[in-house]
Amino acid sequence: MVPLSEVLVWSLAGVLFGSLISWIPGFHIFNIMALLVAVFGVGELMPVQAFPFFAIGAIVAYAYVSAISSVYFSVADESAVFLLFPTQRYLLLGRGHEAVLLYLIGAVAGTLVLVLGALFIFPKVLPPIYQATSPYITYFLTAIVVFMFMSEWPKEGDRGKTPLQRLWLAWRQILGGILVFFLSGLLGFAVMNTNLLPSTSAYTRLTPMFIGFFGMSWVLLNILSNPPMLPQKIDDKVESSIYNTLKASFGGALGGTIAAVYPIITGGMGALIAGHITSQRGDDAFIISQGVNRVIYYVGAFTLLFLPNLRLTRGAAAWLVSSVYTPKSYAEYLAAIGVILLSAGISFLFTYYLSKLIARSFTVVHIRKLSYVVAVVLIAISYVLTGPMGVLVLFVSTAIGMMAAAFNTRRSYCLGGLVLPVLISMTGHTGEVMRLLGLG
Amino acid sequence: MRGFTHYISGLAAATFFPSLVSDLRMGILLPVIAAAAAYFPDFVDFKFGKFFARRDYEIDPAPWDEKKHYAPKLVKIKELSEKNRYQFFAIEGRVEEILTRGSGTVTYTILDEKGEQKTVEEEYNSIVFILNDGTGRITVEAVGDDYKFFEEEFGQIEEGKEILVFGYVDIDEVDKELRFVVSDAPHPQGIAETIAKAIEEAYHEGERIVKIHNIRLPGDVYRQFFVYLDPPKREVRVEMGPIVTPGGVAITDKPPEYRRYGIAKVSVPFIKTYPKPTRIDSFSGPEIAFRRAEFRGKTVVKDRFLPWHHGFSHSLTMGIIIGAFVYAIFKLLGYNHAGDLALASMIGQWLHVFEDQLGFMGSNLLPPITKDVIPGFKLGESGSGLTNFSTAWLMISFMIWNFNRFTEPRPIPIGDAKLLLLLIWPSIIGFGIAIVRSFKLRKEIAQLMDYYTNLEAFEELEEVGGI
Repeated sequence: MVPLSEVLVWSLAGVLFGSLISWIPGFHIFNIMALLVAVFGVGELMPVQAFPFFAIGAIVAYAYVSAISSVYFSVADESAVFLLFPTQRYLLLGRGHEAVLLYLIGAVAGTLVLVLGALFIFPKVLPPIYQATSPYITYFLTAIVVFMFMSEWPKEGDRGKTPLQRLWLAWRQILGGILVFFLSGLLGFAVMNTNLLPSTSAYTRLTPMFIGFFGMSWVLLNILSNPPMLPQKIDDKVESSIYNTLKASFGGALGGTIAAVYPIITGGMGALIAGHITSQRGDDAFIISQGVNRVIYYVGAFTLLFLPNLRLTRGAAAWLVSSVYTPKSYAEYLAAIGVILLSAGISFLFTYYLSKLIARSFTVVHIRKLSYVVAVVLIAISYVLTGPMGVLVLFVSTAIGMMAAAFNTRRSYCLGGLVLPVLISMTGHTGEVMRLLGLG
Repeated sequence: MRGFTHYISGLAAATFFPSLVSDLRMGILLPVIAAAAAYFPDFVDFKFGKFFARRDYEIDPAPWDEKKHYAPKLVKIKELSEKNRYQFFAIEGRVEEILTRGSGTVTYTILDEKGEQKTVEEEYNSIVFILNDGTGRITVEAVGDDYKFFEEEFGQIEEGKEILVFGYVDIDEVDKELRFVVSDAPHPQGIAETIAKAIEEAYHEGERIVKIHNIRLPGDVYRQFFVYLDPPKREVRVEMGPIVTPGGVAITDKPPEYRRYGIAKVSVPFIKTYPKPTRIDSFSGPEIAFRRAEFRGKTVVKDRFLPWHHGFSHSLTMGIIIGAFVYAIFKLLGYNHAGDLALASMIGQWLHVFEDQLGFMGSNLLPPITKDVIPGFKLGESGSGLTNFSTAWLMISFMIWNFNRFTEPRPIPIGDAKLLLLLIWPSIIGFGIAIVRSFKLRKEIAQLMDYYTNLEAFEELEEVGGI
């Protein structure tokens, strides 16, 4: 382990790095870290043993600061024909800063749950539970996918004139979701199992696909919809209750933990499950639970890399870091927990003041202009990491991401890009599917 | 219970069969079928049954614009008729003639905190003018707060001005002609009158099903409204609420009092089986069946929420059918553990039925042997976080417990009973709290039912001159 002073320096550098890029829409810390490693390498810039601490600082910053892009730079268009996220609704009401504060309440709760859990519960409880359940991960994963399809709530259908018309209106949306899932899955399968992308980009081959599904499609919607830039209130006031906060924190922690511990299950999937289990309702509760969920999902998953008696590699950042250096000692685990607390404090302040600044100057620069710049940067990242074919993958996945919005269905169906090929692989059918698709 | 709670019960049911657990370890994922079977009743009801259900009355306070899928719908004046009374629309046209401008007196009914009616008379500024959209002419009226808003929006209203007006359709009491009242919501009177009519018809005819649509507005927000059935007063009252987000956060005030309440009298006895009003906002509006029934020796009309829900799909009989179907299919396909999978699927579906029976609605448990719904145990509402979590946690615990006891060597080297107790204590506490809470709710319902009974007796005495 590097000396504590270096741990401190590199983790602070990570927080600074994460804070500076995480508020930009479409940027994901995993992609930027991959870019950093691809372009500069690690050993030359910093000691390899310091890389996990740099990464944890950056991930904590991302878990906090990304609230800014979720709230302020995912603006709904004026007609708002699509269903809106609660944060978008807050923004349309001029209450963007309040949404950020609600998120921060959740993020702080998530950090406390994570730190207390990491100190007193995870080392004892996680290893045996994980050992007992890990052989059945495919079962859980399949079950979640089936549930996603079965539980899609038809948002239309009530007003059809005949029963058949009502049925069609409802199922149009459900079938749209299934189509998005399978198209994403096919793309993911091709990206993972063919030489579509260069072998030199082994660690980043999924990056352009995910940028397209979630980042680029989001940015493109901002450009196409030309959203109104409404003045925002900057009062430090939130409308919620202690009960809602506690309930949302509990649900968020549950969903985040499930997603952090089990592979392929993402924060969104975890939130879906936990939302049902704890029966959550209310925009305030949703935003708070998102804060808890994202901290535990991103930071918690990465922390598992440090847990000496478990040492799970969860998430792209963990894979990237473990390819350079894997922490080994309990001292590193404790240091990581300290870094989480320190980084969370700095990230909280950064997010809070940045939110005030953006809320105050929200109407100065139109989101559309910023979105053009981000779109170009996202294409550049894809090109640098995966070459021209990566840009092609980016375009295809962006189209699929846009389809999810057009069908008014869950954006999380795009996770089929990861889930479907992994399921096919886990059940040993990759060869058959390759032959079926004429790829092998 | 919520969907995932049922679903996870099916997942857990499968883990009680060592053969299925062993298959899962080998990557055979068929036991997921038990979870699908557990969710099947809600899947059938909400993805199919709902759309085929009969609707005797369809209340649509604010019809959607067909392209944008939200209200208000932009209509032509010639399309409007008496049938549209109280519905919320938008009309675009030219101000043809200003009839009156100034102040006037408006009389309207409001309700106090106890639901008592009060008549209020107020002086308001107003404007009345004729709007022409090329297909016809209609009298438009804006009063009070709506007049203020109207002027802020359009400035001084002058003849020849082109405007887009939102409001509800009404009928002039004197000349019986259509008029258009500027507002930001439909008038609730139409909803109240239709429900009252349905209750009266149900008393004479046996059953009427009412579908109440919600009010979706631009920006994915909803005008919330409440339906109160007040059996003692024999009234249906509807109250327009604020505009809310799908998450239930109010983003406006309620409409002004002069168009907030709709009250309709009902001439037949009816009872409400659940002691809370029906709230309509996001997702979709409810269906309510009004059915003639016997209540303590009297003929009354009873309400049943979502009549297409908790029917045959939520019966133990359906569980047997699912089990037989799964067995037949997988036996044909040559699956070695078809019997266990069928049993797990049947148990999963039965768990769904049992879990729902803990709530209010209840189910017809063994059709065709049983003919009617057996009331629920009233342990908690379907959306209760406490009962949902307690049940889901219990199922997660069962899964971990089963995975552990069916694996050699055991990953968690603790005795079975001790491990189970260590895992399920949160559920035990959760159910304990839910049971204590349910006593309060049961007491509330019992008091309400007693009240109905005594009120009936009071009415009879009054009829024969006893008082």
